[in-house]
Amino acid sequence: MGAFILRRLGQAVLTVGGVMLVTFVLFRVVAGDISANYLSPDAPPEARERFYRRHGLDRPLLVDTSKPITSAAFWDSQFTRHVIDSVTFRATSYATGQSVGRTIIERAPYSLALTMPAMALGWLIALALALLTARCRDTWVDRLGVVAATAGMCIPLLAYMIVGQWLVFRVAPGAAWGVRHAGNIYVPVAIAVLASLGGNVRLYRTIILEEISRDYVRTARAKGATMSRALLGHVLPNCALPILTQLVMAIPFLVMGSLLLESFFGIPGLGGQLVASISRRDVPIVTALTFLTALLYVAGLLATDILYAVSDPRVRLK
Amino acid sequence: MNRPATTRSLRRRAGRKLVRSPMAMACAGVIALYVAAAVFAAFALTPRWPTSHDYARANQPPSLAAPLGTDAFGRSVLTKTLLGAKVSLTVGLVTNVIAIPLGMVLGAAAGYYGRRLDDVVMWLVATLAAIPGIVRVIALKFAFADTVLLDGTPLRLDLGGMVGVCVALSLTFWIGTCRLVRAEAMKIRQSDYVLAARAAGRSGPGILFAHVLPNVMHIGVVNFSLGFVAAVMAEVVLSYLGIGVAVGAPSWGSMINAARSDLIVGRWWELTAAVGAIFVLVLAMDLLGDRLRNALDPKAGKA
Repeated sequence: MGAFILRRLGQAVLTVGGVMLVTFVLFRVVAGDISANYLSPDAPPEARERFYRRHGLDRPLLVDTSKPITSAAFWDSQFTRHVIDSVTFRATSYATGQSVGRTIIERAPYSLALTMPAMALGWLIALALALLTARCRDTWVDRLGVVAATAGMCIPLLAYMIVGQWLVFRVAPGAAWGVRHAGNIYVPVAIAVLASLGGNVRLYRTIILEEISRDYVRTARAKGATMSRALLGHVLPNCALPILTQLVMAIPFLVMGSLLLESFFGIPGLGGQLVASISRRDVPIVTALTFLTALLYVAGLLATDILYAVSDPRVRLK
Repeated sequence: MNRPATTRSLRRRAGRKLVRSPMAMACAGVIALYVAAAVFAAFALTPRWPTSHDYARANQPPSLAAPLGTDAFGRSVLTKTLLGAKVSLTVGLVTNVIAIPLGMVLGAAAGYYGRRLDDVVMWLVATLAAIPGIVRVIALKFAFADTVLLDGTPLRLDLGGMVGVCVALSLTFWIGTCRLVRAEAMKIRQSDYVLAARAAGRSGPGILFAHVLPNVMHIGVVNFSLGFVAAVMAEVVLSYLGIGVAVGAPSWGSMINAARSDLIVGRWWELTAAVGAIFVLVLAMDLLGDRLRNALDPKAGKA
């Protein structure tokens, strides 16, 4: 058991290291010089140098090949600084000068206020609907459910968002604009739930139907259990693992919030911040938020893997 | 050679099953219509588009002259929608033409050779997959904004626009195919026919291309349809955020962005046209992909 956890931990560290490398290559090497977005076109060269110095962009990317390579030069490189900044979240925003760690702490609660109710409700409703369609398999309820879910999946979130805002605007105009009132959070929450329903119902239905065809369900039915009882008592616990895995995949978006919903409804969370930083080309924020989502994802995956291994000895043997 | 019907190849049986399904044929017909519209738009509508603005006719509701109304610059929404089809179909196609072969070759090689190569490929997959979904695409496209590849040569690639969208999406989508193909290739590696080929002295790459890849082709086909839908949806989001196709280029995402506050003032046509176009294309592709998956599933084939 210990060996398994250690091996998975090692893999997770390698993955996180890989993500740091990817973000470095993308945002420091590929993205190039973004100083033009923060300096006026006729700013003197000194201003540009000051900007570079303030954000550590005057240092060599990896090592300065024109000078003798020393360990001090390596520690002074942009790459070293990138790694340290990634881990400590101490890089500062180009636009506001605020540290990204502080930004995350200030803004994450707003994202959580949107995503936690949205995900909990979305998950519960989707599971209930999937159970219902599976229970009524091959009746009109099932067919209607599948058609509605498929149609719902094919509508982009943007459409839910814009039409949802318009509908709310007609009923309660004040609630449609932004979330100046914390109470108005129900509008984006409802939209997030509705938009996620189609895909989730179809996925859960597939998982449940796969379990229903197993022998143990037939045995339970033969022993006199009703279909509903077999579903709730036998099938549902066996579907827990795949459904749980899908939930873990969503963990990063708990903190990140919904990029589109937050920027559309003016919720000051991290998703809206990412969208705003993209148009401002605020590289440190984009770097840190990308790294944060990856970190959360890897941590979530690690936790589920260890939980699986604890609950199911067969997993450990792999 | 006259082979009995029962030994007909999986691929031919799948094709026959698709042709016999009215739903699959209807979906294929819809997609063919989109392709026709996109080709028509590319050749007949693109040249006149940049000069078609007419402020005297801005924000007109649908009429005979402009069947889907006009936008804020007085341009025909119908023309804009057709040009959007060109963008979406190109992105969907190019993305998968890059991503699927990349995922298949890397996945098959990793699964077949195993060891170091497998470790490296799986590390790459795990690393890229660790940045989830839309954030990865946004991060890639964000980094590409000012990138121009092969500048000064005839093959100049400006990653700031549509090419960048395709590259960013390809770098994202090869992962899913790679994982599935790798798992399948690991099973194929232990099969008798691969053992026989190895005993006959066939080289590694020879086996890879002659025996492993043809047997994972169905995964590529199914992932192509899934990837197409995902690419169309992702392009819409990127263009909506302003980091998709070049600013001002007509695309369904930028149409939704332009019309995002229009409903409240009663202008429904531009939003409806863009969302409707997305919905029908994605639905047709999704249903066709579903039929394709069923047709290629040997277990479903016997029923």
